[in-house]
Parts: sequence; structure tokens; C-alpha cells
Amino acid sequence: MKTNEWKYALLILAVIMLAYILPYTIFTDTAKWYGSFLLWSILALLTIVINYFLTRDWGK
Amino acid sequence: MTSTLVWWAIAVYVVIALFIAYLSRKGKQNNMESYFLGDRKLGGFVSALSYSATTYSAFMLVGLAGLTYNGGVGALGFELIYLMGVSLVAFFGPRFWVAGKKYGYVTPSEMLGDRYDDKKVAVTVAISNCLFLIPYSAVQLSGVGYLLQGVTDNAIPYTTGVLIAAILALVFSYIAGIRSVAWTDSLQSLFMIVSSTAVVIVLINGLGGFSGFFERIETSQPELLTVPGNGFFSFLTFLGLTVPWFFFSISNPQVSQRLYMPASLKSLKTMLMGFLVFGFIYTIVAVIWGFSASIMFPGLEKADLATPLVLSSDLVPPLLGVIVMVGIMAAAVSTIDSILLTLSSLFAKDVYGNIKNNATDRMQLRIGKIVIPIIAVLAYLFAEMELNLIAVLSVASSAGLIVVVPAIVGTFYWKRGTSAGVLSSVIAAGLVVILLEFFQLKPLGLASGLWGLFISTFLFIGISLVTHAPEDKANEFLTDIKEALKTAK
Repeated sequence: MKTNEWKYALLILAVIMLAYILPYTIFTDTAKWYGSFLLWSILALLTIVINYFLTRDWGK
Repeated sequence: MTSTLVWWAIAVYVVIALFIAYLSRKGKQNNMESYFLGDRKLGGFVSALSYSATTYSAFMLVGLAGLTYNGGVGALGFELIYLMGVSLVAFFGPRFWVAGKKYGYVTPSEMLGDRYDDKKVAVTVAISNCLFLIPYSAVQLSGVGYLLQGVTDNAIPYTTGVLIAAILALVFSYIAGIRSVAWTDSLQSLFMIVSSTAVVIVLINGLGGFSGFFERIETSQPELLTVPGNGFFSFLTFLGLTVPWFFFSISNPQVSQRLYMPASLKSLKTMLMGFLVFGFIYTIVAVIWGFSASIMFPGLEKADLATPLVLSSDLVPPLLGVIVMVGIMAAAVSTIDSILLTLSSLFAKDVYGNIKNNATDRMQLRIGKIVIPIIAVLAYLFAEMELNLIAVLSVASSAGLIVVVPAIVGTFYWKRGTSAGVLSSVIAAGLVVILLEFFQLKPLGLASGLWGLFISTFLFIGISLVTHAPEDKANEFLTDIKEALKTAK
């Protein structure tokens, strides 16, 4: 187990804040697939990547 | 869809699932830990698939697709923010896991009771979980009833569908406890994701490929691609929906109990990562499903009709349609059987085990096994009665379970938390949630889940600060966890 959990927690928190803020501000008029649809998908993938690094050493 | 085809598909599914359940019988399962936790020896892959099947119910392809149909892309944001919230498992997962191993906890409420050094905490949390989750299971059962009724044009009546789902959930949980649940869950989750992804690929192709698909939405209903879009997902609505679900992975006992089961930290990691990937794909599939419905059948009065209509449309070959229908049924059953098992363990361990003096492990297991069918019958009766209050409690379930979150966080991160803090936060905030949902009130425009979280946090901290914390227990618990985490594998 690593001890730098707080860093990861803040990173995930930042991604989640973006998931609340961006669609309701700069993407609110972008009625395209590359608007909120793509943004939320990317942010979710980013969270998965962060989780991957956060849990990388589990069991080692 | 002809009812003969539907019956055949259900029969094939039942036979395969029963065979898997039968194969899963291993060991004696003559104690609580074995029956409800699989001896804490579940492998990573099965854990991941079973976690996915338990989390994702009939809600996805019916409810989330309907939500997309009504409100557009906001439904994607809602479900993906839930998925991001599962990151909580990366923080709480190892803590639950080492605590379970160290102290032998079978249920999350048992852990809370021990950590706050008060049996009343375990009893109260267990009862409040039952209060919200039995109605939730009932609504899942009615989902299957409506689905079968819808796709067969009333040839299979509502009651028959409800009965089939209830019996299947009961049998899957009864054969070998969590083992049969986990193995049938795994089969069902694979079935859910493969069949629904196949349909979505067929739909996108039929509706002009990826670019053609989105072009049609951009020209005919552009408001579906933005929030607030048509106004359905106002920011406060979005917040009210997402916040309770964000905490789902630690607030809902049927999934948080899973954190005790993996054989190793490595299995826990596989469970988390496997689930995140599964969830991402399934979410995209459900949302595209809803978008397809809005292209093919704009202007429906009831969005819940979207899924049966898509399934029986010309674009979807009947055989594929019926396979997906069984997939949706499997999604519901795999959620209900896990809830049945978790609730019976809560009742046996935390309610019976604490109220009855000297209740041995064997007696608790016997009570647990008696309670499983009782809860199944209750859920069945609730689904049959279609009571208003049941629907309210089911909708309130995510909001109602959130009131335990401050106590769970405090278990691992706040020494000053007290049992009085937990009891007041769970009881008072739980009642507020029920009242707000019952009278459909949204004070200051905020949904019940947000009020539940505010009030429970405020009460947990406030009351804890003016009452006496179980300092020795808290210190011992937190030191043990810290030490165990250092060496955990």
C-alpha cells in the first residue's frame, strides 16, 4: 500500500469537479458528439487510469 | 415477439444458470463466513463480474435508457459520475478488507457496531438498510413483470414475470449462498454486456453508422446533446441525482459487503478495475440505446416504453431481441439475489445476533437461511401490491442509504465519532429523507439525498463532539488497520 493516497484523492476530486462544471458552462451550447458526450467519457476514462495507478502496487 | 420464443429463451437461461449454481457448491457452508462471504476466498475475476451484476440492475437498459430518452446526455453524466464515485473503493476497499480479516466482520453494520462500541448502532443501521432495500428489490421484480408483459404484448402477464424473477433470485441465493450468487452473477453479467453491446452495434449500424447516428440527433433533437438541454437536467436536479449515487459503493450494503470477500488485495484490485471497465462499457451502451430510441420513436409519452419498443423494432432481429430481454431480466435477478443474501445476513448477524443472547454462529446461519425466503416473499408481495409507499421507498433508497455515509467515513478517518452521533444521524436524517420523498418536497430546490447527506453529516459531527467517544476502541481499531495495511497482500 502506498501512502500518497491524498494526492490521488485530490486528483480524482479535480476530475469530478470538471465533470460537474464544464458541461454546464463551456459545453452548454455544444450540441455535438464531441461536446459533453465526449467530455464525460474522457473524464471517466481518466478516472479509470488514475485508479489503475492508485491500485498498481496492491498485493505486491 | 412471440411468447413461445420468450418462454424458450427463459427456459434456456434458467437451465444454464441452475447448472452453474449447482457447480458452484463447494465446501460445507456451515458457518456465516462461508455462506455469506464465500470464506473470504473469492477470486478477482468472479468478484469483478459479480460486483458488476449486483450493481447494474434492470435500471440500466430500462431506466437509464429512458432517462437519456427524456433528458439526453445528462443521463450519461449522471451514470459516469456514479462510476467515478466507485473510486471510493480504492480508498475504503482495503480498509474494509483488512478490518474484515482482522475482526471477522460479516456485515458492514457489524463493523460499525463494533467500531463505535455499541450494538444499537449495528441494529439500527441494519434495520434502516432493510427498510430501503426490500422495496428496492420489489421494484426490480416489478421491472421484470412489466418487461415480459411489454415485449409479449400481455401474453405473459405481469404476475407471472414477477413470480419467475422472485423464484430465480431465491433459488440462486439459496443453493450455495454467496458462491451460487457470485457464479450465476458472473454468467449473467457476461450475458448482459455481450447481448446489449451487440444490439447497440446493430442499432448504430442501422441508423447510419457512428457519424450518421449523431448527425441525426444533432439535426433533429440537438438539445439532447447538451445540459441542461431541454431543461430536464437542471443543475440542481443533476446534483440531487448524482450525489447519492456517488456514494453508492460504500453506502449500499450489498456492494460494500463485497469488500470483505476477495481472497487477496490483488483480487480486490481486479474487482475494482474489472468493474470500472465493465461499468464504462455498459453505461455507454445504455445511453446509446436511449439515443436510438429517441431517433426511432420520438415523442413517446412514457419513456419507459422506449426499451420494449427498441427491442421489438425492425432493426433488431427477433432472436437478438429476445436474448437481450433475457439479459435485462438477468440484470434484475442478479441484483435481487445479492440484496436478498445481504439483507438476510444483516438480519441474522446484526438484528438477531445482537438481540438474542448467546446466539451462536450456527443459530445465526439458520436464522439467515429462514429469512432469505421471507424477504423474497415480502418483495414479491410488495411488487404485487404496487403500493405507492413502496415506490417512494425504492426511489428514496439511494437517498435513504446515504445517511450512513458520515458514520462509515468516521469509522476509518475520525476518532471522535460516537455511537450517539451515528444513531442520531442515521435515524433523524433517514426520517427526513422519507418525509421529503413522501410529500415530494424539495426545500431550497435541493433533493432529498442532498438533505440526507447534509443533515446526517451535521448531526454525526455535532452530536459526536458533545458525547463521549469510545477512545480505546477507536485507537485500537485505527492502529490495527494502519498496521494491517502496511503488510497486506
